[in-house]
Amino acid sequence: MTFTIDEWFVVTLARTIKDREAVFHGFGSPCAQVAMHVARHTHARDMLLVEGATYAVNPEPEFIPPTGNDLALQHRAVYQLRFEEFFDAAIRGDIDRMFLSGGQIDAWGNTNVTAVGPIERPKVKLGGGGGGCNLAATIKNLTLWTTRHGSGRTLVEQCDFVTDMGHRTKEGTRTELGFTGGGPEWLVTELGVFDFPQGRARLRQTYPDVTLDQVTDATGFSFEVAGDLKHVPFPSAAELAALRSVDPLGVRRQEFSSTELKRVFEHGSGASCAC
Amino acid sequence: MPFFMDTDKLVTLEEAAGRVRDGDVVALGGGLSARLPMALVRELVRQGRRDLHLVGSAHGIDVDLLVAAGAVSVCEESYVGFEQDLGLAPAYRRAAEGGDIRLAESCCVTMLTQLRAAEAGVPFLPVRGVKGSDIRRLHPEYAEITCPFTGEVLIAVPALSPDVALIHASLGDRRGNLHFDKPYVLDERFASASQLVIATVERMVSTEEVAEAGVTVPAHLVTAVAEAPFGAHPTSCYPEYAYDRNHLRDYVAAAATAEGASEYLAHYVTGAPTELAYRKLVGEENLERLTGWDKSTHAWKELFA
Repeated sequence: MTFTIDEWFVVTLARTIKDREAVFHGFGSPCAQVAMHVARHTHARDMLLVEGATYAVNPEPEFIPPTGNDLALQHRAVYQLRFEEFFDAAIRGDIDRMFLSGGQIDAWGNTNVTAVGPIERPKVKLGGGGGGCNLAATIKNLTLWTTRHGSGRTLVEQCDFVTDMGHRTKEGTRTELGFTGGGPEWLVTELGVFDFPQGRARLRQTYPDVTLDQVTDATGFSFEVAGDLKHVPFPSAAELAALRSVDPLGVRRQEFSSTELKRVFEHGSGASCAC
Repeated sequence: MPFFMDTDKLVTLEEAAGRVRDGDVVALGGGLSARLPMALVRELVRQGRRDLHLVGSAHGIDVDLLVAAGAVSVCEESYVGFEQDLGLAPAYRRAAEGGDIRLAESCCVTMLTQLRAAEAGVPFLPVRGVKGSDIRRLHPEYAEITCPFTGEVLIAVPALSPDVALIHASLGDRRGNLHFDKPYVLDERFASASQLVIATVERMVSTEEVAEAGVTVPAHLVTAVAEAPFGAHPTSCYPEYAYDRNHLRDYVAAAATAEGASEYLAHYVTGAPTELAYRKLVGEENLERLTGWDKSTHAWKELFA
């Protein structure tokens, strides 16, 4: 069975979710959105899935539309949280995981979705952070992701503007600032996967068509490499089937450049289980 | 904020938009591609409103159109854009990069907290986040406060009472009772925290009909209400219609340049003196197509393919 990088990437995101976690994604995040449904249909059947901008609880969409605020995303949800119900829960610390991305991400997992360049006269005004600058403080674990690592402009030494705090900024560490959430746990990119021991990004896995040099060249900060650096585990047949079923329009592909989408893979002999 | 006791608040769209003054702090209801108060937005542009200070959570074509028309001086939303689908908001981006608007980007949670302070009649409330984020640099008015009970240092944010909230609903009556579906986004909070609440509704119906559907915002919070069919177009107003992705895509493409944005405005907004004229430009057949989202999953998907 062949599969493409967008599929492998989404499955990798999905695997950062643990069963029985309450999980949320922001709007404008098709990959994270699809990943949550993949997780709920495979290894995390009893997660509590809070759907982006509709706040629907455990919906069963027949397709993922290209916007985060569409009725299609509430399909078969027994309940839709009110705006304040969701944010209160998140600020109290009852939400276990959130997916966050950024135009810039630094080694401490700080993210910038506000502006590239000086804020007074930005070079690029990005969309903005939604609820992130409060949510990132209190949600238990964050899964960060970007599909633009290869551009060399996304993983940077220092964010021009910190919209959502990771493990440490000029103002101090999470503990010093009194934040109750654990901060970034994973950073998944189209080149590999980082974790954050001591709060700083460390490379744990790469895709098999990517070399360590490629990752180093594309990354604006120095990073430790795990002693047991591995390849990202293959997606299973069940994960791919769930993904293709939940995202027939392929909205996940919007996050990738057309060049990236040409990356096709196949389960080799002896590859991970296809159960 | 005050209660509005009039028993008949039905006005024309022109009168409704006329309640907004130059320089007002204007709260925009709805979010992203859903239930944005577009008929009011278009009418504000037609009336040449200036110097508005916009507040809201996650917004798209409403803010972008007002910025393109030169109606905005301050943007205090948490997000303005078209998600991964259509990308950055072109006119907003251009104005921000050119220094033509003041960026006071906020956070949904902060704004919710500020509205709750206004609703409770207290001058501020605390939030636990924001520290460590540069969002704080955009808001010199935020302060630090030490909790008298725990000693914890939190960020105190001031009460926010917008001069006027613009809300689009599915159903309403002449008294101003409104019904609309979830997600309500910040609309309920805007309705009870704002000085004036101006609503448009898809259909004006009897009080009994609104009550049966369920009152989302009660009449005593609403200042004026106007009927505006397809008043959220090109965003959605379910269950009436889905969002018009083709129109939004064409808008984003047009607004990529200042000239293109002006042409869009000249064609669809100032060039269409009434909402009826706007609907004719958009095309009845096209609008009909958007109402057919519930015919089948296939039909719904086709709208977004």
